[in-house]
Amino acid sequence: MTAGRLNGLLGIGLLVSLLMALCLGAVQYSPAEVLLEAMRAAGLSSGAGLDEAHRVILGEIRLPRVLLAALIGGALAVTGALLQVVFQNPMADASLLGVGSGAALGAVIAVKLGWSFDIFMALPAAAFVGALGAALIVYMVAQGTRSSSLTSLILTGLAVSAFLSGLTSIILIASEEFRVRAVFFWLAGGLEGRGFTHLGLAASLIVPACILAGLLRRPLDLLLLGETEARALGLNVPRMRLLLLGLAALLSGATTSVAGSVPFVGLMAPHAMRSLVGPRASRLLPASFFAGAILVVLSDLFARGFSDKYDLPLGAITSLSGAPYLLHILRRTERA
Amino acid sequence: MSASHLLEVANLSVRRGARDVVEQVSLSVNASERVALVGPNAAGKSTLLSAIAGLLKPSQGGITLAGQPLTTLGSREIARRIALVVALQEGAPLISVRESTALGRYPHTGPFQDLGAADHGAVSRAITETCLLELEDRTLGSLSAGERQRALVARALAQEPGLLLLDEPSAHLDIGHGLDLFALLATIATRGVAIIAVIHDLVAAAQWATRMLVMDHGRIVDDGPPERVMMGEPLGRAFGVSIAEALAANGAGSTWRFERRAGG
Repeated sequence: MTAGRLNGLLGIGLLVSLLMALCLGAVQYSPAEVLLEAMRAAGLSSGAGLDEAHRVILGEIRLPRVLLAALIGGALAVTGALLQVVFQNPMADASLLGVGSGAALGAVIAVKLGWSFDIFMALPAAAFVGALGAALIVYMVAQGTRSSSLTSLILTGLAVSAFLSGLTSIILIASEEFRVRAVFFWLAGGLEGRGFTHLGLAASLIVPACILAGLLRRPLDLLLLGETEARALGLNVPRMRLLLLGLAALLSGATTSVAGSVPFVGLMAPHAMRSLVGPRASRLLPASFFAGAILVVLSDLFARGFSDKYDLPLGAITSLSGAPYLLHILRRTERA
Repeated sequence: MSASHLLEVANLSVRRGARDVVEQVSLSVNASERVALVGPNAAGKSTLLSAIAGLLKPSQGGITLAGQPLTTLGSREIARRIALVVALQEGAPLISVRESTALGRYPHTGPFQDLGAADHGAVSRAITETCLLELEDRTLGSLSAGERQRALVARALAQEPGLLLLDEPSAHLDIGHGLDLFALLATIATRGVAIIAVIHDLVAAAQWATRMLVMDHGRIVDDGPPERVMMGEPLGRAFGVSIAEALAANGAGSTWRFERRAGG
């Protein structure tokens, strides 16, 4: 299958997922109602449409949440794809490398110190700094041990992640109850109550970062060859790796700031797509974005559809599918 | 330093850790020269190639390309003039031969520019010259060792360099594929490209090269035409062997016999 055809299929899959996520939930809509409402909102139809309450639920509650799910799913997948190139390991992921924990710690510090309530953009900025810090620590430790083997990388990420999670716990214990409740969200991951403001905030960071990642497709391809080859072809490898790491941290920070920790999407989506479209960034990045978007839209649909009384944490849903996937890959790698 | 040489290495030392792996090496190479760099393991051959390619910083001395010091050139500028084919390259097994070859155009296009008509032309020429046209859609990981080595040479040719550096290009190749590769390299040299290749097989090196450099303990200990270098004392001393000229099996011309020196 060609990459263009696969991306077309994934695009259709994403549209179907979005439609499903808009239709299903505590309040149900038919696809025709959703499409008619979309046409009415675009000025293409003058029919009566939905009543006010249903219109608000669909347009102001469900729509931004569903779009945000797609956006952060795509961003997490691109983050994973970038980290996999930087670490030259097809299984690197923000959650495995402590980047998610770093972002969560940054977010928790921002909440604890009250910055998130007082300063605009303080929360995503703190999450970004935390994500970048964690990525740099893992990168430097991995460089120091001169080993990029899967085991040592995962163990390094695990150690950094455990350390940062420990710091997060200490800060949480020493925090007032209302702050703890506010930060629990980041640790479990979720999109409950997210609106257009969050969508705008996330999009303002994620869209430019994804575009920049796409523009860097040729250096990304060069890094596939390995450090010596890439340098011999004129690429400044340390500088490019640092730029990509910063980009991955920006994406991770942006997703964490609005959706908390949503692990394994960055592992599953690029890994599954690589076997279909190959490792080249010009094909892998768009395919991974679509696959990650579909994965998170459907995971969030399951998270809010599981019970009428409460939403399941989104991070728990992706972990429940991602952890077995990781084990499957590890077993397959060991056999190979 | 003279600007007439394509490459000039003057008094070059490269330090790795606590010791000089390359020590006060001086040499010059002209267009179309086929230079075989030989020497025992850990003699500093690969390090010297990496330094010439601008990947390692000299601790002493300097390198000039057509009279321009390497230190004044950017990394992409160097890659437009020098191509390096490293030993045992296993990266990117999932990209196709054409995609791999196209990456050789990076020094010309930079990070954001896509390949233009001239770039596609250079890629196609490199693929044709290396006889990979039928394999261009195959992934690198699916190729045999010989085909893969040709694919790496194709990427280097797509850089359109004036100087081609190869680190053990015939390693893992059987004699037939090795001879094919050396014939290809000889053809490339006729276009004015200077080639320096680290070669472990002394006989193959002597047959292919127009000049042999012998490295031992980081230094060039002999430099000259293969027929003289092969019978010279420095080569035998470097490897710890005795070398004698013998009549080739078919009676036409001569070959060499090697024997381990006592205590060598």
